[in-house]
Amino acid sequence: MAWEYYLVVMLVYLGTDLLAVWGLNLEFGVSGVANLAYIVVVAAGAYTFAICTLGPSSGNGGFQTYIGGFTLPFPVALLAGALAGAVVGTLIGVTGLKRLRQDYQAVAMLVVSLMVATVVSADTGFLNGSAGLALIPNPFVDLDPEVARWAYVGVVALCCLIGFLVLRRFTTGPIGRTLRAMRDDDTAASAAGKNVIGLRLVVQAVGGAFGGLSGALLAGFIGGWSPSAWVYIETLAFLSCVIVGGMGSDRGVSLGTLIIAVLLLQGVQFLPQISSSPGLSEDFGWIILGTSTIIFIWFRPQGVLPERRPRYLRKSSSQSPG
Amino acid sequence: MQLIIEAIGFGIATGAVIALGAVGFSVQFGISNILNITYGSLMTLAAYVGLLLIEHGVNAWLALVLGAAVVGVVSVVYHRALLAPLVRRGTRAIAMVIVTVSAGIILQYVIVSFAGPESHSYGEQSGSTLHLIGFTLSAGQVAIIVLTASLMLGLHLLLTRTTLGKAMRATSSNRTLARSCGISTDRVSDIAWFISGSLCGAAGVALAITTVSFDFSLGSLFLIPMIAAAVLGGIGQPYGAMLGGLIVGVSSELAAAVSNPNYKDVVAFMILIIMLLVRPRGLFGAAWSTRRLMEG
Amino acid sequence: MSGDAGTVILDVDRLEKHYGGVHAVDGVSFTVERGSITGLIGPNGAGKSTALAVIGGYVSPTAGRIHFDGADITGYPMHARARIGLVRTFQMARVFGNLTTIENLLVAVPRQRGESAAGILAGKRYWRGEERHLVENARALLDTFGMSTNADDPARTLSGGQKRAVEIMRALMMKPKLLLLDEPMAGLSPSLSRQLEDMLLRLAGDGLSLLLVEHELDTVDRLCGKVVVMAQGRVLSEGRMAELRLSREVQDAYVIG
Repeated sequence: MAWEYYLVVMLVYLGTDLLAVWGLNLEFGVSGVANLAYIVVVAAGAYTFAICTLGPSSGNGGFQTYIGGFTLPFPVALLAGALAGAVVGTLIGVTGLKRLRQDYQAVAMLVVSLMVATVVSADTGFLNGSAGLALIPNPFVDLDPEVARWAYVGVVALCCLIGFLVLRRFTTGPIGRTLRAMRDDDTAASAAGKNVIGLRLVVQAVGGAFGGLSGALLAGFIGGWSPSAWVYIETLAFLSCVIVGGMGSDRGVSLGTLIIAVLLLQGVQFLPQISSSPGLSEDFGWIILGTSTIIFIWFRPQGVLPERRPRYLRKSSSQSPG
Repeated sequence: MQLIIEAIGFGIATGAVIALGAVGFSVQFGISNILNITYGSLMTLAAYVGLLLIEHGVNAWLALVLGAAVVGVVSVVYHRALLAPLVRRGTRAIAMVIVTVSAGIILQYVIVSFAGPESHSYGEQSGSTLHLIGFTLSAGQVAIIVLTASLMLGLHLLLTRTTLGKAMRATSSNRTLARSCGISTDRVSDIAWFISGSLCGAAGVALAITTVSFDFSLGSLFLIPMIAAAVLGGIGQPYGAMLGGLIVGVSSELAAAVSNPNYKDVVAFMILIIMLLVRPRGLFGAAWSTRRLMEG
Repeated sequence: MSGDAGTVILDVDRLEKHYGGVHAVDGVSFTVERGSITGLIGPNGAGKSTALAVIGGYVSPTAGRIHFDGADITGYPMHARARIGLVRTFQMARVFGNLTTIENLLVAVPRQRGESAAGILAGKRYWRGEERHLVENARALLDTFGMSTNADDPARTLSGGQKRAVEIMRALMMKPKLLLLDEPMAGLSPSLSRQLEDMLLRLAGDGLSLLLVEHELDTVDRLCGKVVVMAQGRVLSEGRMAELRLSREVQDAYVIG
């Protein structure tokens, strides 16, 4: 049943996209850290997962060369991916500590993203260069294929559930408030006694962990990972979900991810055949993404579901809807 | 040793095109305080417009002029219709970067939709090879160097000898003050965007002329070296960008000749990152311009 | 070392701040006594705001030392100063625009339980009590300043005067020992100015120390005990406003700038 397979793919992609968007929203939407190199933490998680679950590089005829190859179990590899994302996220955060204009920092991040991709592609011994890594073992390979697929969906769903609970700890309550204050005015936040540098690094570590987990889950599902999966513009795809959905709002960006996913799938089908180029749907997808982002920045920068702050006047619950 | 000299020669040729693009980018930042990342895709647009013209028999150099003009017009319209209104409404700088990156992506993939993802070439434009001072350059490369030098000279004369040029410099350094002096800053902006857009277009076609083949990623590939050159020279300073272009071009070619050619681009990346982290105002940026680069 | 740490809360010692060749602050020394309102005046370009920025930790000094409450805080970053009670406001009132008015106050308390690693991990139960306490304090302040009805409004929708009030309330939430105010009356209507003046006098009476940069000399006269006059980056004179008004030196400084 082709539609069943299609549904599985959609759900896995949606789940991993949600994790990444949540992480990026924590960094950018909530805390104001313009990390346009976010895709690098996703890649870090994916590669780490791969080198953890693969065997030594000499195996399988030695057609790919890479570091690591620890043949670790699936859950450990996932955790390693999340951890790698956190570490790489913090490293990226360190480069952004100098007080530059936000747009300068953003461009610097894009350059970092491009540079890392170039270096990884060029060095064939590190992560098998531009060919990337393949034959990443599937944890459910012994099961019936249909069951294996849905088992993976289950894993992704579980990660999303746990991930969301962890996310809420950071985006709500006093810490959520403090991060948003840092976003709104980091100088005033410093003057209010907040250690802005420390907060930024923590946020980039946590956001990086989300991205790393997202990448790890994807790599495990696809079975491979190469530089073409993480070109620097991929960060813009996640950014689009954040902006369209509602910056700073967990619910909003979740809805945004769903909207963008639907748009990309459905919008492409209504496209008249301009040329017979097979990659056209993907190209058009980028046009849709770019246009949605600009339209929302122009007409509704707060997004579809804007961030809502808790109300205190009517003595209602101080639980932040975030 | 011969390798080094040839690399330097090559670097000057590449550097010339980088300088051409960097100056345009720098002028746009100077006039409107926007880092226009769409610049890369606009260069690609010029290259493909040039391709279209050449395929219809137009001479390559005329194609360059026309391609430059087309992108010049597109740039003015782009700034007037999208960028300027957003800035007027108080859109934050980071959102402007996201907008220009997104517009660049849109433009790039529109080009792909029409022209396809495969590589194209202007064909044998290089002509004969010349040997100058130990450098081995094609006639095309020499022509580009001459062209760039003349355009830079023309820009210099414009900026220093004409009223328009002075108005541009005034608007660049302090827009409000310029306006209160009676300068029509909107009109000056339009003209500045046309000029810088034309430089962008010229750079795009020049790139296509000097590379063996190119595809839709042409502009984005060369955008980073151009931004690196602009920042190195002091963003907003056209003269700094010219020198920056040469430095970036030569150092990239030298690095490629001496070590792994795959790392040629990394040189430009490193220059940009290091400049931003260590000395954002660049080599020649005045202290006042640092204020623009620091939080604000 | 100078001064008796008991009566002096702020000791500025030969402070200098150079920007390239410009000596914005060129050897400034003065003290602020506990529970006093000290004024810092001078013509435009005298370096008052720069001095305040250095004292507040926004920029680091080229030379000189700052002692606060007995400790040498010259190397402390801005957030560390805020945490020990040295709080500043800004010339243009800075509020957290997307937070509500009351949230602007709640966020200002340093080292909240909910911000710590333990608080994040443990969740609401850990910080609920402290949060309730903070909300009570914030509500009380809002009442005092007459802004209770604006509690849930996003701070970016407030008027200039209201933003100024929020800034001061936010500073008060931090239980400051010394408040640095940079032209607090700027942009306020005369009636609001008088209200703010009364409030500042009351706060000083309760033990809060204030260092005030202000252009309105009548305000300075009403509020300040000691006044320090700066010109061209240096301290020209200090004393009570009434005396300074008569001083030739001070008059000249204002005319010549």
